[in-house]
Amino acid sequence: MSGILDVFKRPDFFELLRQHILLSAAALLIGIAIALPVALAIRNTSLGAALAVNIGNIGRAVPSLAILALCQPFLGFGFDTALVALTALAIPPILINASTGLREVRRDIIDAARGMGHSGSQVLTRIQLPIAAPVIFAGIRTSAVQVVASATLATFIGGGGLGELIVEGTQLNDTTILLAGSFSVAVLAIITEVGFGALEKAMTPKGLKIAQKRGR
Amino acid sequence: MKNRTKLIRAIPVLLALLALAGCGNVGSSSGSGPSAGDDSGGGGPTITVGSKNFTEQYVLGELYAQALDANGFNAETKLDLGSAAIADKALQNGQIDMYPEYTGTALVEIFKQEEQPDTPAATYQEAKKAYADRDPANTMLQPAPFNNTYGIFVRKEVAEKYNLITLANLAEASGDLTFVCFSEFLKRPDGVPNMQKNYEGLKFGDVKIVNSIGGPIYQGVLQGEGDAGVGFTTDSQLASDELVVMEDQKNIWPFYYPAPVVRSNVLEENPKMEEVLNSVSESLDAETMRQLNAQVDIERADPEDVAADYLEEQGIVK
Amino acid sequence: MANPSLALLQDLSSIENPKLIEWDWISDNFWEDIVPAIQGHIFLSFVSVALALAISLPTGVLVSRYRKAYPPVTFVTGLLYSIPSLALFGILISIPGITIGPTPVIIALVAYSLLILIRNTVAGLDAVPAETIDAARGMGLTERQILFRVELPLALPVIVAGIRIATVTIIGIATIGAYIAGGGLGKMIFDGINRSFPTMIITGAVLATVLAIVADLSLLGLERYLRPWARKRKT
Repeated sequence: MSGILDVFKRPDFFELLRQHILLSAAALLIGIAIALPVALAIRNTSLGAALAVNIGNIGRAVPSLAILALCQPFLGFGFDTALVALTALAIPPILINASTGLREVRRDIIDAARGMGHSGSQVLTRIQLPIAAPVIFAGIRTSAVQVVASATLATFIGGGGLGELIVEGTQLNDTTILLAGSFSVAVLAIITEVGFGALEKAMTPKGLKIAQKRGR
Repeated sequence: MKNRTKLIRAIPVLLALLALAGCGNVGSSSGSGPSAGDDSGGGGPTITVGSKNFTEQYVLGELYAQALDANGFNAETKLDLGSAAIADKALQNGQIDMYPEYTGTALVEIFKQEEQPDTPAATYQEAKKAYADRDPANTMLQPAPFNNTYGIFVRKEVAEKYNLITLANLAEASGDLTFVCFSEFLKRPDGVPNMQKNYEGLKFGDVKIVNSIGGPIYQGVLQGEGDAGVGFTTDSQLASDELVVMEDQKNIWPFYYPAPVVRSNVLEENPKMEEVLNSVSESLDAETMRQLNAQVDIERADPEDVAADYLEEQGIVK
Repeated sequence: MANPSLALLQDLSSIENPKLIEWDWISDNFWEDIVPAIQGHIFLSFVSVALALAISLPTGVLVSRYRKAYPPVTFVTGLLYSIPSLALFGILISIPGITIGPTPVIIALVAYSLLILIRNTVAGLDAVPAETIDAARGMGLTERQILFRVELPLALPVIVAGIRIATVTIIGIATIGAYIAGGGLGKMIFDGINRSFPTMIITGAVLATVLAIVADLSLLGLERYLRPWARKRKT
């Protein structure tokens, strides 16, 4: 066990951790920046939403190793390639959840808001977005966990990150390095899961929470 | 509804069957990949040949497996073991009966020996002894007569710009250069630590890690993602005029002659194996190996076919 | 032996600027390498889903009865689910007695599917209306009969929905299993990376994706077939 702590003291451990977090965070943010506006733009067309959900589903079926490996012949090696691949991985869950979340806001609620004189953008910001927020955040959470996990594979295309420790441990048959790498990625993924879970809860509007409780 | 009840009833039975079929298969199916002699076999004793997962190992693994297959054995292959450590583990617990290992790699990585012998013969003898002394014991057969050592290469323009010919030159210029290698090479005592010990001042400005052995490191250096990289002297890619291999005037590398490492009890039961495997090893040399590797790495041929053509040409397989 | 003479000069243009797809390679290696890789992949995924179901169905039924056990079960399986696959493979092969090859890959794939499958089994059973169960009891059915004839059949669509997610996840993660010699299409992807050979990478990646999509769509079909009312209810 003390050997594992020694690995954490290695100067390159922090560099790898930093790369891993940077890679995941950047991919997630860019993913959100692409998926959310698209979901908003198509929220009122059923064709667009169906298209988004289906494309998203296909995108989700692409194995993460496949996305990383596929980007390599086109973009070469390194951090940037890994970033592009992980961004592509981050988009589908957000896109699916955002477009279904926005579309599932009940028609009568929107009509009522319209009747009260809300404009289209007011309906969006005051009604649709708050109601869809938990679903959207659930999508972001799925994405975040997936991206953190898949960033482990970036090492195969020279993208850095904690996966390097796992591979180094396997290559050197050094269980300590292997476990140090494995545990730190696992902990990072769990922190992401729990953190975004809390955020998801915080983002659920009060009214919805009450409704959910009553519904039970 | 009735149908569905039947369906539910059927599920456990189906699952149990599948699980059984699955478990039965796990042991025998060695996954996919190039495999020797599914067709022939000859009904002799089954020998499982392993290899690590890079080109030269695939070719060597196929060469040994097909030669065995043609000589009364039933060879099976398991040619995708991720590293020396993994291959050794598979050998020790009997998942494979043999695999090609390099003499120096055995001493450095498997037996963690700190000081390396000065001659190829002594390296082989020490590795052979270390294998024989452990339990369960392994036998390292006669190595093929060529050294597949590290080759540190630099892109041609970079070599010209800094006037790099030897590793000592490289050490002087290293602060300005980006080095591309796999994780293991940075840490292995015979890798970068060895270079730093012998060539003072070697510290690369930047190190890029690409954890795929072979192609990607060459590709990275050729495409300018890095300036220098590590390869192996029998890699076909090293024989390019776009790359300059740094001369190692101090002979810092251990000797890495490839030899079949066989589980001793398997060899005792099948003494004929030795002769067959030796005939393959003896036929090889550095240039031949490089050409075989080139057929895979550059001409994109299948290691299985490359091995088959070679063995036929050599008259080892008729 | 410092610097062995390199007699054969190689033209590395195929490595510096690789062609994306060499159809010749695909047709040359189709039966020998590509088909066995697909079979290996299907085998890995299928066995894993089957084993995972064999564990999850009884567990799901049990925890739906003993509710206190549900949170710890989801906690443990959730923990397993969030361990990145390369890390889980790494941890597994460091355990003495577990060797590389398909076995640890299957163990990991089963571990990943537990959360989804147990959760969906419980959700499916929960969705069975209490009145229906009461009615069945009133008809004199035993608890066992209620489970097999009423609850599980009604929960089946939700369970199948879980199998669908689990299968797609597993087919994806199985590619990484090639790193510890699990075989399958991942081996083609890794070999392609190692040889800087895009054709192999693309073939492996595209086939793995197609496999996942085909599995997803067929299970979606099964789910729809088992839930005819869902199609009508949709407004």
